[in-house]
Amino acid sequence: MIQARHLTKRYGATTAVDAVDFTVEPGRVTGFLGPNGAGKSTTMRMILGLDAPTSGSVTVNGHAYADTGAPLREIGALLDADAVHPGRTARDHLRWLAVSNRIPQRRVDEVIGLVGLEKVAGRRVGAYSLGMGQRLGIAAALLGDPGTVVLDEPVNGLDPEGIRWVRELARQLAAEGRTVFVSSHLMSEMALMADHLIVIGRGTILADTSMTDFMAHHAASHVRLRSPQSREVAALLSGRGFAVTELDDEVRVIGADAAAVGELVCSHGLLLHELTLVRSSLEDAFMTLTAEAVEYHSTEGVAA
Amino acid sequence: MSTLAPPRGLITARPGFGSILHAEWVKLRTVRSTWWTLMALVVVGAGLTTLICALNAEWLASPEADESPGSFITFGMMLAPAAAVVLGVLTVTAEYGSGMIRSSFAAVPSRARVFTAKAVLLAAVLFVVGTATALLGYVGGNAFLEAEGIGVGLEGDVLRSMFGSGLYLAGLGVLAVAVGFLVRHTAGAVTILLTALFVLPTMVMLVPGETGQWINKLLPSNTGGSIAAPVMFNPNLLDPWVGFAVFLAEVAVVVALAGVMLRRRDA
Ligand SMILES: Nc1ncnc2c1ncn2[C@@H]1O[C@H](COP(=O)(O)OP(=O)(O)OP(=O)(O)O)[C@@H](O)[C@H]1O
Ligand SMILES: [Mg+2]
Repeated sequence: MIQARHLTKRYGATTAVDAVDFTVEPGRVTGFLGPNGAGKSTTMRMILGLDAPTSGSVTVNGHAYADTGAPLREIGALLDADAVHPGRTARDHLRWLAVSNRIPQRRVDEVIGLVGLEKVAGRRVGAYSLGMGQRLGIAAALLGDPGTVVLDEPVNGLDPEGIRWVRELARQLAAEGRTVFVSSHLMSEMALMADHLIVIGRGTILADTSMTDFMAHHAASHVRLRSPQSREVAALLSGRGFAVTELDDEVRVIGADAAAVGELVCSHGLLLHELTLVRSSLEDAFMTLTAEAVEYHSTEGVAA
Repeated sequence: MSTLAPPRGLITARPGFGSILHAEWVKLRTVRSTWWTLMALVVVGAGLTTLICALNAEWLASPEADESPGSFITFGMMLAPAAAVVLGVLTVTAEYGSGMIRSSFAAVPSRARVFTAKAVLLAAVLFVVGTATALLGYVGGNAFLEAEGIGVGLEGDVLRSMFGSGLYLAGLGVLAVAVGFLVRHTAGAVTILLTALFVLPTMVMLVPGETGQWINKLLPSNTGGSIAAPVMFNPNLLDPWVGFAVFLAEVAVVVALAGVMLRRRDA
């Protein structure tokens, strides 16, 4: 279990993580979702005691990371940067990690097999592809057979088969009762992997909810209407208790049944040019949620 | 995919310092740069000594020689500090450069233990390699001196300069580890150390009077270097053992500073 209490990290004028509170429970995959620069990696580094919180605290199984006996046996982590010397082979990297925490050497070959690196374990890591590097990082995280696993963007650089493998691994680890904390920028990925979702934007927690609840609340659909008599249509529908928003050239009815809306408008003899049921995807829901909190907006269009 | 054992959640005992030292040893021997640097140290330290002795033996044996043969028997060891410093720096800065330092501190959260393990390991390796290299240079160089009838015995100051070379390089290794943790960049740390060891001594000569003399006495290349020299060229320097004690104090100051900073800064 991981618990953050008013966890705050400032780098000079930048507040990377702003007084966040959350708990990552065992036995389920908790997704940590946020756009670039939201503070995911910073939070994970603080969990591992690598960066010191400016204020607040974060604990693993009720104690600070540094108070762990053999940390790799309690919590395994894949960090965003490679965290591996390019001149060393994968096997040697895992070997020194194992020695440092008194993990039996046979475990090194076990995790190499687990992530499918048998053929290349004797090669220098510098020659690895992005995906192979990720697999090595995951092998290192699992080396001590830890009860808590923290993965910072594990699917980064993986091919579809690799992505599926990580997803299944995360689910399996959680099913075994472990605490699994996985970060990503991709809502679609989280939807497939996570049971619980913590959304972070600009260092603050925007949502902390089960995946099912998140879908029910945020993946809302609406009915889009276009009509030459849009004012009348809007008045009619809001008079009947529908949640109506009038935009420039369309009327939006949120959480309504398209057929019911169409029939009602028609029965009042009003003209309709378009009637569409618009389902907003989870990705849209995530975008909406983090719109204000996005650190780096891309500039629309191409300069003339 | 094989299955994993269910998590135990039990917290095992903290690994002893021996495990951490062993892990650092695995790290040190599994990168090529270690072997390249040590090879450079041996080749320069022993090879250059032999070469210089071979080239100068005849002149040293002649009546016009105004230097003692003993001062040539560790000639190559004057450059060995460069290799020692690079090795010490790399064990730290290569980790910062690649991001591996985070793996290191995640595996061993006590930064003081990581620092100590690196320092102890470097000191041990450099003492052994440094002393062996000095002896190798002695054997090679003395063969040429003996051929001219001016061989030096492996005793007294000459013997002291052999393991003194090991001690000096060991101290430099610890200093380099500390500077590596302070600076975190290979080029920066190496430049600082090479400047301190090889450039400052010539610049200090421009400082006049007693001030200059004292600064010269206290430069690490002189405080630490004297113990590695069989013959004292400069009467103004501290005695070898006194100098070495001062050198250790200087190293300790940098180590303390690096230790404090390491605790304070983010990894
Ligand atoms: N060491 C540092 N020094 C200064 N600023 C930092 C440092 N680390 C992170 N930041 C800043 O903190 C903020 C959060 O960064 P962080 O890397 O935690 O985001 P993230 O959610 O992991 O983003 P990404 O999805 O791009 O990996 C950013 O504004 C970043 O520039
Ligand atoms: Mg990140």
